[in-house]
Amino acid sequence: MAVSAVHLESDAFLVCMNHALSTEKEEVMGLCIGEVTTDSFFACFGVDTNRIVHIHSVIILRRSDKRKDRVEISPEQLSSAATESYRLAEMTGRPMRVVGWYHSHPHITVWPSHVDVRTQAMYQMMDQGFVGLIFSCFIEDKNTKTGRVLYTCFQSVQAQKGSEYERIEIPIHVIPHEAIGKVCLESAVELPRILCQEEQDTYRKIHSLTQLDPITKIHNGSVFTKNLCSQMSAVSGPLLQWLEDRLEQNKQNIIELQLEKERLTQELATM
Amino acid sequence: MAASISGYTFSSVCYHSANSNSDHEGFLLGEVRHEETVSISDTQISSSELLQVVEVHNHEPCAQLFSFYDYAGQVNEESLNRILKDRRKNVIGWYRFRRNTQQQMSFREQIIHKQLTQLLGVPDLVFLLFSFISTANNSTHALEYVLFRPNRSRYNQRVTLSIPNLGNTSQQEYKVSSVPNTSLNYAKVIKEHGAEFFDKDGVMKDIRTIFQVYGALQDKVQSVCGEVEQSERVKEKVQEEVNKLKQQIVLRKRKTTDEERRLQEAQNPELRLTPEENTEPPETALLSRVAFHTPSTPERPGPSANPPAYSDLLSLQNDSLLPFSSSPTSAALLPRPQAVGSPGHPSPSPLGLGLSAGPNPAPSPGTPYLGNGDGSSSDSLDRQAAGQEDDDEEEDDEDSSEYENLVSEVGQLPPVSAIVLLQGRPAALSPDGDASVRGSQT
Repeated sequence: MAVSAVHLESDAFLVCMNHALSTEKEEVMGLCIGEVTTDSFFACFGVDTNRIVHIHSVIILRRSDKRKDRVEISPEQLSSAATESYRLAEMTGRPMRVVGWYHSHPHITVWPSHVDVRTQAMYQMMDQGFVGLIFSCFIEDKNTKTGRVLYTCFQSVQAQKGSEYERIEIPIHVIPHEAIGKVCLESAVELPRILCQEEQDTYRKIHSLTQLDPITKIHNGSVFTKNLCSQMSAVSGPLLQWLEDRLEQNKQNIIELQLEKERLTQELATM
Repeated sequence: MAASISGYTFSSVCYHSANSNSDHEGFLLGEVRHEETVSISDTQISSSELLQVVEVHNHEPCAQLFSFYDYAGQVNEESLNRILKDRRKNVIGWYRFRRNTQQQMSFREQIIHKQLTQLLGVPDLVFLLFSFISTANNSTHALEYVLFRPNRSRYNQRVTLSIPNLGNTSQQEYKVSSVPNTSLNYAKVIKEHGAEFFDKDGVMKDIRTIFQVYGALQDKVQSVCGEVEQSERVKEKVQEEVNKLKQQIVLRKRKTTDEERRLQEAQNPELRLTPEENTEPPETALLSRVAFHTPSTPERPGPSANPPAYSDLLSLQNDSLLPFSSSPTSAALLPRPQAVGSPGHPSPSPLGLGLSAGPNPAPSPGTPYLGNGDGSSSDSLDRQAAGQEDDDEEEDDEDSSEYENLVSEVGQLPPVSAIVLLQGRPAALSPDGDASVRGSQT
């Protein structure tokens, strides 16, 4: 049974956007956590049951292969994602699991490449309902100075001719979610940590090379420092600022809501 | 002029927009810097250029449309101050998010902009327009954004908005081998003086220091995140309580009208209204039918003969958006409202105005928005996605575009119930006084 639609909670959508907009020089990726429901409403009209994939949160993944055009998830990452979904299941009291993956296409068209379609087909072999999301960003039309951010959802099917795969489009809707969920917030603040971890791993490998003279070592150390500074000013800093602004907004909203609550309580009392 | 906005602020605007079922607007806070760039030309005369850089730091979303202006586009300074409070001095622009509309400022937006420029005292106030379109099957969606500075001459109005990011984090800058050098002096000098950089463990001191900075920053991010999470939960709870109170008030009101009606009937039996004799327009006829038969407590619409009241459906929407819990059968019986952005009258053949609205002439004042006005067929979205501008006037399938408006506008529940719940309802019918008016683009 193919997936009939994907419902992406808006706070998970927020985290995906944050992640996609974090870098324009390479593709980022992550996993989608949620549940699949079958809506048998249409069954009484003789239509096949609808499978709807609900994405409640996302997990940011480390790129093990930093080549520009390749996004693949290692088995270790999949297993730690499974742990993460178990945690989400505990918190929400609903069965959660990995239901899909997303990645970004900076400066590139939103449509999945052949590699993407093949990768998606591979995931579908272990889970028919697995979906793929792509976020295309940093697109600008120089003539009209219009910037664009696009997102699409797809699955793979075997092409009629030969053994190649082709994509099928899956409708995706962003579901409003007025408050940002705890899991989404935690995923969002993972990004700086993941970036730093990647940098540390690379540096450690370099540092263990013994035949480097002091000048080269100083150079490498400076590269590490430079990269970490870049991460702090481009990611951690703006993230902290956004969190503070959100906190301020929430405090304001809470005050206004309390006032409205009092007003309504009074109105109800007089009726 | 250059402009920048952080990815987090941008995503936040997208998030608020996705949460709103109508247009969304707000203010842009930040600062305008002047950067001087010195360039030396062949004539050896250095020329310095003054570049205005608009930095958007964050945004102040408006909870509703028409919160600081009225239907005539008259800005109310008091409301403005109430919304902005002490952030008024940081305002450098405002933004608007609309679905399925052209990338041009509407007339109302222009007059509001003029007034804001005056009231806020910002001569170069900017306007950021977000426009959202989707393919017919809703599998692909595009959010387009343009930054206008309408107070400048008409030929230089659009400004590129950049989103600073990590850029190149390639780790190829690490050197894996040293440049070969057999000079003993070289080795001696760099070892002796280079030792300054390293601590007793052979680790570069700078690395330890910067790592401490990073650690402290991440701790702070973590702790503020915890506070945000708590505030989100509190906000959710109070919002729920407010919604419950609203529901109770609505019920109470309906009960009293119910009772009053029964009283009237009892007194004047010959004036009794039956559903068949009702000559009122369909929507109110529905309501009066409901007034007779609705039970006192709201229940989820079951497959009953009587369609539920609009208020019930509205409260349903707030309770839960899980599609399998709603049952659209009864909702499907409600009259199909107008598509979002579609004209109230049958429109002439679509002008097929493309998305490249820049050099195009403004649409005629009689019909400023034709519901689609952009090639929302997947073909054009294809071309947009590939970064090419579609300059050809495309023939739109008007029917399918109206459908697109409906589904993409809602984009939440499965089509049927969603369309009926959130589309084209005139403000007067909404019992809890929500002011989200459709077709509010002008």
